[in-house]
Amino acid sequence: MYRYDEFDAQIVKERVDQFRGQVERRLSGEILEDEFKPLRLQNGVYLQLHAYMLRVAIPYGQLNAARMRKLAKIARDYDRGYGHMTTRQNIQYNWVALKDIPDVLEELAEVEMHAIQTSGNCIRNVTSDHFAGATKDEIMDPRPWCEIIRQWSTFHPEFAFLPRKFKIAVTAAEHDRAAIRVHDIGLHMRERDGVVGFEVHVGGGQGRTPIIAAMVNEFVPETEILDYLEAIMRVYNRFGRRDNKYKARIKILVSETGAEEFTRLVEEEYAAQQESEKIALPQAEIDRINAYFAPPEFAEKPETSDAFERAKAADPAFANWAKVNLHPHKVAGYTSVTISLKPIAGLAGDATDGQMAVMAHLAETYGFDDIRVTHAQNVVLPHVALDDLYDVYRELDAAGLATANESLITDMIVCPGLDYCNLANARSIPVGQEIQKVFADPAYEQDIGKLHVNISGCINACGHHHVGHIGILGVDRKGEEYYQISLGGRADEKAAVGQIIGKALRHEEVPGAVKTIVDTYRDLRISADEKFIDAVERLGVEPFQEAIYAAD
Amino acid sequence: MTSVRPKLKPETPKTVTAWNTATGNVVWLRADETWTEDASELGVFTGEAADAALEKAKTQEGAITDPYFMEVTVDGKVAGRESLRESIRANGPTVPYGVIIR
Repeated sequence: MYRYDEFDAQIVKERVDQFRGQVERRLSGEILEDEFKPLRLQNGVYLQLHAYMLRVAIPYGQLNAARMRKLAKIARDYDRGYGHMTTRQNIQYNWVALKDIPDVLEELAEVEMHAIQTSGNCIRNVTSDHFAGATKDEIMDPRPWCEIIRQWSTFHPEFAFLPRKFKIAVTAAEHDRAAIRVHDIGLHMRERDGVVGFEVHVGGGQGRTPIIAAMVNEFVPETEILDYLEAIMRVYNRFGRRDNKYKARIKILVSETGAEEFTRLVEEEYAAQQESEKIALPQAEIDRINAYFAPPEFAEKPETSDAFERAKAADPAFANWAKVNLHPHKVAGYTSVTISLKPIAGLAGDATDGQMAVMAHLAETYGFDDIRVTHAQNVVLPHVALDDLYDVYRELDAAGLATANESLITDMIVCPGLDYCNLANARSIPVGQEIQKVFADPAYEQDIGKLHVNISGCINACGHHHVGHIGILGVDRKGEEYYQISLGGRADEKAAVGQIIGKALRHEEVPGAVKTIVDTYRDLRISADEKFIDAVERLGVEPFQEAIYAAD
Repeated sequence: MTSVRPKLKPETPKTVTAWNTATGNVVWLRADETWTEDASELGVFTGEAADAALEKAKTQEGAITDPYFMEVTVDGKVAGRESLRESIRANGPTVPYGVIIR
C-alpha cells in the first residue's frame, strides 16, 4: 500500500487547517452558505436531507486495518455508529456535524486519509478492480497506476475547475469489475511486445444521459499515459460545455463531437505538447511506486486445503458461503473473500463501527493487512489462506457479515435514495429490502445465479440502474413514488445501457414485477448455465414485458 | 438545496424550514419566529407574514442554512406536493439504520 511522503502529509495537513478556518468563519456568520458551499464541497461535505454528509476518499478502494479502525472510530465518535460504502469505493458518513468535521479530517490525516476531491468539478477518486493484485485473471496489478494517476490528479492546478466532475477507473483484468466503460475515462491495462500500456476509453457515464465510452486509443504506453491524459483533459477543459450543467460531462462532448473527431482533437493536442512540458514519468519513479504494491509474502501451499475441505463437510452454512463469496486467487492455497454488506432486508453498503472493527481485525490477523471496498458496496479481503477461511467465516458470521450472496440477486447496488439524499425523488433502500425478501431462500437465489439488480432514487443514477441487469429507477409522480424498470444493462467488458420495458410501477408492485422477470427467465433459459443477462440478450425484452404488462 | 421546491400561493399555509449550520440538524420556525428542531412545534404562516418570516430567516444565515417555505396544513402537519420528502426530513429515514438493525 502506498505510504505518504513528507510532501503528501504536509499538503493534507495544510488542507485540514485551511478548512478549519473556513468552518470557523461559516459558523461565525462571516461567510454565508453561497460562499461556503464550494469550499465545503471541495472537502467532501454535502448538506443532505437530514444533516451534513461527509464523503471520505478511499483511493482505488484500498484500506488497511489501521485505516478501517479509524473509519470505525469516526463512525462511533462523530456519527451514529455506521458508515456507508459507495459505488466509487469511498465511504460516506450521514450524520456528522459541520462543527466536528475539521476534527474528523484531522483524525483521517493521522492514517493518511482525506476527503479532498471527493466532490466538485475536479478529478475524483480513481477506482479500480477490487481484486487487484490478487485475481488470477489480471495481467498485472493496476494499483500502482491508480496511485500515479491519483498523485497526478490531486491538486492539479489546470484541472481544478473542469466543466463538471470527472471520474477515472482502471482495470488490468480481462473481466471488467471496475465498470470502466461507464466512466469519463476508463483505462484497460494491456501488454504489447513486453511494453505495458493502456487501452483508453473516453466519454462513458450514467446519469440522465447514459453513454458507453468510446475507445479513443488501443494502446498508449505507460510512460506516455499521463501526457495522453493531459491531452484528453485539455480538450475537455477547452471544449466541454459550461453553459448547461446537464450537458457538461465529457460524455456529451464526445458524443456531440463524434468519437473520431474527438480522438483527432486529443491526438492533435498530444502532438502539440512541447518536450519541456511533458511529464514522461521516468522508469525509476514508476518502479518506486510499484514497490509500494509488492505482493505480500505468501506461504507455499498446495492448491487445496484439508482444513477447508473438512470445515465445509462439517458446516453446510460455511460450505454454502464458500461456494458463493470466494474468488480465485493467483497464488495456490489462497482466495479472495467478499464480505457482503447486503444482509437480507438490511441496509445495502452500510457497516457499523463494530463490523468495521471486525473486518480490520480479520485483515490484520488473516489477510496481510489488506482490505478493499468494492463498487458494488461490499468489502473484500483479497488475500486469505484457505486454511484460515473457517476462522474468518466464524468471526464474520458472529458479526452479521456472512451473507452468502456475492453477485446474486440480493447483492444489489442501492443508492441512499429519498431516505437520505436531497436530490432523490423516491426511496431506494426499502424497495431493495422488499425485493431481497422475495429472494431470501438461498436455494432459489442460487438457482437464479448471477444477477445484478441496481436501484437509483433519481435520474442521477448513483445506484447504477442503467447498467443493472435489472435496473430500477425511482421517479416522482405528483408526490408519489413510482419505479421504472429496465433490462439488459451491464457494466462489464460488454457494457450496455438497459432498455426501459414499460410504464413505471407503483412502489408495492416492484418486488412482484422483479419476481415475474426472474421466473420468466427461469422458464425460458436454455439451461441453468445460461445466465440471466445472456438470456435477456438472446430473447430481447419482449417476453419480460409481456409477462409484466400482459394484464393491462 | 432540494431538487424540487414548488412555488406556494400566498394563502397556502406554510412554515419556514432550514438546517442548523453547526450541526446540520433540520429546523423549523416557531410562531414566535424562534427555531425548533421539533416539527410538532412549527409555526404556520400565510401571506405577507410568511414572506416577512422567510426574509427575516435569510438574514440569519450564520446560525441557519438555506431557509425555504414548506407547505403545511392549518394545524401544522406536513402537506402538499413535497409531503413524502418533508415527512422523511422531519421524521428521519423510513428504514432503521446503524446498530439498531445489526
